[in-house]
Amino acid sequence: MSELKYVGQPCVRIDGKVKVSGAAQFIDDLDFGRNLLYAAIVESPHPHALIKKIDTSKAEKIPGVVKVVTGKDFPFKFGLYMHDRYVFAVDRVRFVGEQVAAVIARDARTAKSAARSVKVDYQELPPVLDVATALGEKPPLIHPELGQYTHVPWFFPRENTNIAHWRKVRAGDIEQGFKVADFILEDTYTVPRYAHCAIETHGAIGLYDYSGRLTVWTASQSPFTQRHLFAEALAPLGLSHNDIRVIAPFVGGGFGGKAGVSMEILAAALATAVKGNPVKVLWSRAQEFYNTYQRQGVVAKIKLGVKKDGTITALDQTLHWDAGAYVEYGANVVNAAGLSATGPYRVPNIKIDSVCIYTNLPPGGPYRGFGYSEFLFGLESHINEVSKKIGLDPVEFRRRNAIREGDKLAYGSKMNPSGLLEAIDKVAKEIEWGKKPISSDPKKAIGKGFALFWKAPAMPPNAASTAFLKFNEDGSLNILVSAMEIGQGYQTVMAQIAAEVLTVPLEKIRVELPDTDRNPYEWQTVASHITWGCGKAVERAAIDAREQIFDTVARALGKDKSTLYLEDEKVKSHAEVDFILPLRNFVIAGIGKEDGTFRGGPIVGRGMFMPEFASALSDPETSQGGKPNVHYTVGASAIIVEIDIETGKVHIPKVALAVDVGKAINPDLVKGQVTGGLLQGIATVLYEDMRFDKHGRLINANFTDYKIPTAMDIPDEVVPIIIEVAQPDGPFGARGMGEHTMIPAAPIIANAVEDALGIRIKSMPITAEKIALALKARNKEKLP
Amino acid sequence: MPLLHDFNYHKPASMGQALKFLAKYKKAAILAGGTDIIGEIKEGIAVPEALIDIKGLAELKKIEFKNSKLTIGSLVTFSEIIESKVIKSKLPVLIEVARTVGSVGIRNRATMVGNICSAVPCMDSGPVLSAYEATINAKGPKGQRKIAVDAWFLAPRKTSLKKGELVTGVTIAVPDKKHAGCYVKLGRYSGEDLAQASVLVLALPKNIYRIAFGSVGPTPIRARNIEKLINGHLLDEDIIEKAKKLILETVFPITDIRATKEYRMLMCQVMFERGIKAAASRLAGGGPKYGESLM
Amino acid sequence: MKTAINFSLNGQKISVDVEPYETLLEMLRDRLGVKSPKCGCDRGDCGTCTVMLEGRTVRSCLILAIEVDGQKIITLEGVMKDGDLTPLQKTFIEHNSFQCGFCAPGMILSATELLRKNPSPNKVEIQEALSGNLCRCTGYSPIIDAILEHTKGGK
Repeated sequence: MSELKYVGQPCVRIDGKVKVSGAAQFIDDLDFGRNLLYAAIVESPHPHALIKKIDTSKAEKIPGVVKVVTGKDFPFKFGLYMHDRYVFAVDRVRFVGEQVAAVIARDARTAKSAARSVKVDYQELPPVLDVATALGEKPPLIHPELGQYTHVPWFFPRENTNIAHWRKVRAGDIEQGFKVADFILEDTYTVPRYAHCAIETHGAIGLYDYSGRLTVWTASQSPFTQRHLFAEALAPLGLSHNDIRVIAPFVGGGFGGKAGVSMEILAAALATAVKGNPVKVLWSRAQEFYNTYQRQGVVAKIKLGVKKDGTITALDQTLHWDAGAYVEYGANVVNAAGLSATGPYRVPNIKIDSVCIYTNLPPGGPYRGFGYSEFLFGLESHINEVSKKIGLDPVEFRRRNAIREGDKLAYGSKMNPSGLLEAIDKVAKEIEWGKKPISSDPKKAIGKGFALFWKAPAMPPNAASTAFLKFNEDGSLNILVSAMEIGQGYQTVMAQIAAEVLTVPLEKIRVELPDTDRNPYEWQTVASHITWGCGKAVERAAIDAREQIFDTVARALGKDKSTLYLEDEKVKSHAEVDFILPLRNFVIAGIGKEDGTFRGGPIVGRGMFMPEFASALSDPETSQGGKPNVHYTVGASAIIVEIDIETGKVHIPKVALAVDVGKAINPDLVKGQVTGGLLQGIATVLYEDMRFDKHGRLINANFTDYKIPTAMDIPDEVVPIIIEVAQPDGPFGARGMGEHTMIPAAPIIANAVEDALGIRIKSMPITAEKIALALKARNKEKLP
Repeated sequence: MPLLHDFNYHKPASMGQALKFLAKYKKAAILAGGTDIIGEIKEGIAVPEALIDIKGLAELKKIEFKNSKLTIGSLVTFSEIIESKVIKSKLPVLIEVARTVGSVGIRNRATMVGNICSAVPCMDSGPVLSAYEATINAKGPKGQRKIAVDAWFLAPRKTSLKKGELVTGVTIAVPDKKHAGCYVKLGRYSGEDLAQASVLVLALPKNIYRIAFGSVGPTPIRARNIEKLINGHLLDEDIIEKAKKLILETVFPITDIRATKEYRMLMCQVMFERGIKAAASRLAGGGPKYGESLM
Repeated sequence: MKTAINFSLNGQKISVDVEPYETLLEMLRDRLGVKSPKCGCDRGDCGTCTVMLEGRTVRSCLILAIEVDGQKIITLEGVMKDGDLTPLQKTFIEHNSFQCGFCAPGMILSATELLRKNPSPNKVEIQEALSGNLCRCTGYSPIIDAILEHTKGGK
């Protein structure tokens, strides 16, 4: 392969200037003119109740109030994978904070104040606040009509229960697998809920204009999917995709929370109630905590069987997910985790039950890692315990069992090329695995923890990306895709791909933010798949444009197409050293001939990528037979911790993470994901701690008491390691990695704590308090 | 998001005007830095009829050192305390305390006097003023009043400030002999946090100490019982252990959203030991630099 | 009751009628169209609302508009003279320091304030100066490293 000029370079982001200058517009920065209305939401104070009566009369009379709406005005269900949610609660509320009504007014203060005058009468029902209660003897049913909900064919709800979906994976012979094991260990690990805490809260503005056009501006990762869900939900009003337009500006962080449709449905629906006026719904930080998707909690029961030499013979895992009040998106987290809960290992005999359970807590949904962080905490902690008990080094255990290219996955299909062993070796070397340092300070204990990770994009089999590419008179070009800039820097990566094919420098490439009217289709910006899927579409569009360029030159100037190539924004020929034709001369104007006619015209490239090999259909009892995951990105990570044995506080001198990205199109952006993702993951272990009271109310819905790291809380040294074993169907061999960098954080810390102190903590978070009190309890036991 | 509460705003040009406004309203609140009161109005915790902005009263902005007494006016911000040369030379532990409050953007507005007027149990200023036996200076319709710090804090969010009175500043008698201090604060991480427990140790020559705990009781706790135990004795492991046991009867932490009773109690012991050793070392000319976290 | 206030915003004299309950952040964004300060939490916890008041960074969501009568306010727009990027901003761009960019205006103001007070801060001093600006994307080190790199050159 000839040397690449742009791909593989740590290029400066093309959106750097717009953000650093403050010019970047986010949802709340857009101006809508003097007829903008504001909506304030009336929320449920109860976790589970029937709505008996809503009295809006007092609120309606307040000067400045334009309209008050309730669930009865929008009896429409919506959802991504399952339709289990109404726009506003209609007959019952299912979590504290759920939207029950909205007041629309001419200014935000009036709306918020008037919302207090809406009176709602509830009849409280017994709440279900944990999975044990949800699965218990005759539990209250949160969704009594579960059996009638429409959903994707690969979900299996159990009607008349609180089980929204049950993913079963069965491979080999589990009983035999445990029979031949030399050692078996069983244990339970608990992971609570977490919040995304993007620094920008959710927001959306809807305008249903007098021509019948509904435009919704949203801070979203998924403009096209949003348009689709709005169209489905509002079809009874006579609206279809053709009538709906979704526009997304820069987004201040998503992490999965701004995917799908959560509060954005409110702007779309409310707009139809105040035709001709744009209406804004902007979430406060508190609402951001309790009424957007949360990362689901899980209780994981793991039973692992191994031979004396560490070879895994059997894995039995039961995952009970606290999925919240609505699972239209979250059930797919349960699904994805279930299919991959073996971790990146060779496991011949498998029994996995991943159960999605309704509870009266905020809806669970997509969060960076999509279920993998949650189950990996238990699995990677458990592997260390097993290694310890059989006397095998935990890194060597992982080497022996690591999955390789061509190995059978849990659901039957084959593992893609992967640099997992290389990742293990590089991380072990970086962290000096095997050396056990001792602190010179007697009050500090040093430990090292290691874990592997993997993840595949969790997408429907027909998730597609499309791209348009058009030139301008100065030889610059615009790329139109509908991926979303949420911070990851995809615009720069797309530009680098196009630059490589068309030899146009990055400064002359713009990547336009999505507008479903103008930009072509993209499923969602989730699943760490944009570099792979959208990047492939952009590559194809660039190649398509290049074809048109060579075609035009060949036809207009009689050149042999096979001799043409591009260099420095010019068409050149291997056969003719003096032939140099700048792109700018003809990419709009065409090539003029002597008789005054022109050939060609504006060059417009088109590309599309949709995997045609993926399928979600499989045996519902075993999950065998499908190909639900396009490929896995794998890696290894390790951490050195220094624990103050009196306070329990954990200091991190070093953390390393190696990820096989296939091809790092922009190594700087890959490193950015490693640094950011690791810190977000570390925070879920050491600091973040979601607290609900007995009534199901989130009591720390703010940054004062839900702590996300500041600049003073970072590890001393973060070492990103890039592994490149090419992904055959990726652009230049690339595959995605945005979520993966957070996934190993919890188990590497849990394993390092065990290494330092000999204490195994099986529930998250692992705060200083938990460590200090565990040490105190152990010291008390030791005293005579 | 707009403040929903309706209130009047006044900015008096003189102390006399300020006191007149205070007398006029049943429920008026003083507005200095605003980092507490504005948040409390937003949350609906505070519903004052009026806010009286005292930032026009220049006399409240002073930091004065006279006759061994350091007086800090009500409008002095934590940033100004940190940057004050006179405080750095006379009372460096006060800078150590100030640096743990919030972050730079908060410290540029928040005032120490505002902190002790809010009297929330987790306040950072309580222990240092308690250990240094400061007096709070108040002015009212009947004239000036000095209140000893021990009589100032009555209960969470309750001080002995009378209606119609306004705090003009705080006076700290700086010991004329050598002295050193150490403030140790328990947070959930290194970034800005409200104290879950704190201790201020003041070390004086001849093994004399003053110790005050914060955030482990409704008001700051001056640990006179521990002082009685250790004062005049050499600081050795044995006496520190005895003092740590005594802490269990001295402080009254609760379990709340931030930490459990058990952890706070355990940390009070750890922080006391680290604080008193650091203060003693500093008195002897060594020890950790002021501002270095011991946790 | 509306009161007329007069103040300087990014070097320009401004006159606005405000109610006591309006915050400085709201006045800047909604009345005057200055969008760089953001509302991330409305409680002073996140730092996205940071502006400079009389040369010091403050949380504009915790300040009433009426309080700034007679004062000087600088936002990110005003730090850039005639709209030109400052050398520090250029360094941030070269280092790919920011990802989503939502925290950038507040972060840049805090960094600018630090460098005015302390032209050669060490890593710990930078961390302390930025600790009031939350960032969820970057993990902070690309921002810190850029500042260290920037001050090494003696710019």
